[in-house]
Amino acid sequence: MTPDLTPLKKFDTDGALQEAADGLTRSSLFRRGGLLVAGGLAAGALPAAIVAAQGVPKGDIAILNYALTLEYLEAAFYRKALDDGALKGQYRRFAQVAGEHEQAHVEALKKALGGKAVKRPSFDFGGVTADQATFAQTAITVEDLGVEAYQGQAGNIKTPAILAAAISIHPIEARHAAWIRSIVGGGSGEPSPAPAAFNPAKDMSAVLAAVQGTGFITMDRAESGSAVTAQPQMTG
Amino acid sequence: MPEPALHEIATLDEVDRDGAVREAAEAVRGDTRAAFFRKGGVLAGVGLAAALPGGIALAQGTPKSDVKILNYALTLEYLEAAFYAEAIAMGKLDGVTATFAQVTGAHENEHVAALQQALGSAAVKKPQFDFKGTTGSEGTFLRTAQTLEDTGVAAYQGQAGRIKTPAVLASAGAILAVEARHAAWVRDIIGAGQSPSPAPAAFSKPLTMKEVLDAVGQTGFIKS
Repeated sequence: MTPDLTPLKKFDTDGALQEAADGLTRSSLFRRGGLLVAGGLAAGALPAAIVAAQGVPKGDIAILNYALTLEYLEAAFYRKALDDGALKGQYRRFAQVAGEHEQAHVEALKKALGGKAVKRPSFDFGGVTADQATFAQTAITVEDLGVEAYQGQAGNIKTPAILAAAISIHPIEARHAAWIRSIVGGGSGEPSPAPAAFNPAKDMSAVLAAVQGTGFITMDRAESGSAVTAQPQMTG
Repeated sequence: MPEPALHEIATLDEVDRDGAVREAAEAVRGDTRAAFFRKGGVLAGVGLAAALPGGIALAQGTPKSDVKILNYALTLEYLEAAFYAEAIAMGKLDGVTATFAQVTGAHENEHVAALQQALGSAAVKKPQFDFKGTTGSEGTFLRTAQTLEDTGVAAYQGQAGRIKTPAVLASAGAILAVEARHAAWVRDIIGAGQSPSPAPAAFSKPLTMKEVLDAVGQTGFIKS
């Protein structure tokens, strides 16, 4: 089932995201020779404006923007939760650390994409961040989804440097997921920080459908045509 | 407090640096060590082996380098599985530490089984291990588990870009995430989210095969 990507369509400036979601990322793409060798790059480092370099396939650009969208969401979620002030102790520490990481991911992906980066969406977390328990359950869902999303794309990435970057983020999302599960479980072991021997993967359409189902991504007020004053554009 | 490096974990005896250990480490490492890959790489005689995690078969014509990576993974999984099995058998673990050991050990056993099944007759044999008493108390168990799991993450991550077969990459990714979960979990058990941090950095760092095998060799955990 192809998800309705309407909320995200305005970010899909060249159709790459839709194309990727439709699975058209493979046979028409090829690597140019001598491109962007991953060797020597520090973990997580992507060259600035990597996509401006010749030969980065459209599918890789779409995957980076897909990752950026998810990271925008996570970063905004943690920031909102911290601002709401309902988190205490280990929950607060988790949100601080994970939020810093997601923000670093946002910045790295934006830098790599340069002018091709999708803009930060508007978010509405519907109050889940204002309560410690609902925050934690949502964090579990969001982090688990992030792991599945990165994992689902690893095999689609053509550019070695981009694969290296994705593989440096994927285990961090897994650490986040386990951490918040461990906090929630206390010493009980449930929810399990590691629920299965093999982590499941999700393809892009499944992830986007799940994201859409949360309702967290909203239309920009300015675009809705309403008389309400446009929200200040956040630059995170 | 700095986290223990692999080579600092051997607490009781001096690390056994004699020929047996060095030979074992080199046998696992060497590109030209035919003895390690007894069937010489490509799974010529194996046919379609049973499924890797994810329900994908390891086909004939799988590149030698992918077979080597799978055997490298299998060696690390043998080590982790044996470590947890010994720790559980020692009976010194309590509460969430015991739960962690049981759950994680079961996962490592599944990883071993899947890799063995996929590799078939090309699978390396299980080494003999000596965990140097690190399974004998909860504290050393936890610190050792932390290092083993962190190393496992770095090991899988270090190979991802080298894997040629899509099915092998998919499996590696599925295991990588779980080793990262194990690592975060045990760190949280040790430090309650403070130190060691379950997620110490925004980006995970890979290690090369040589770096990992050197570190493993220095522990002396692999006896033969």
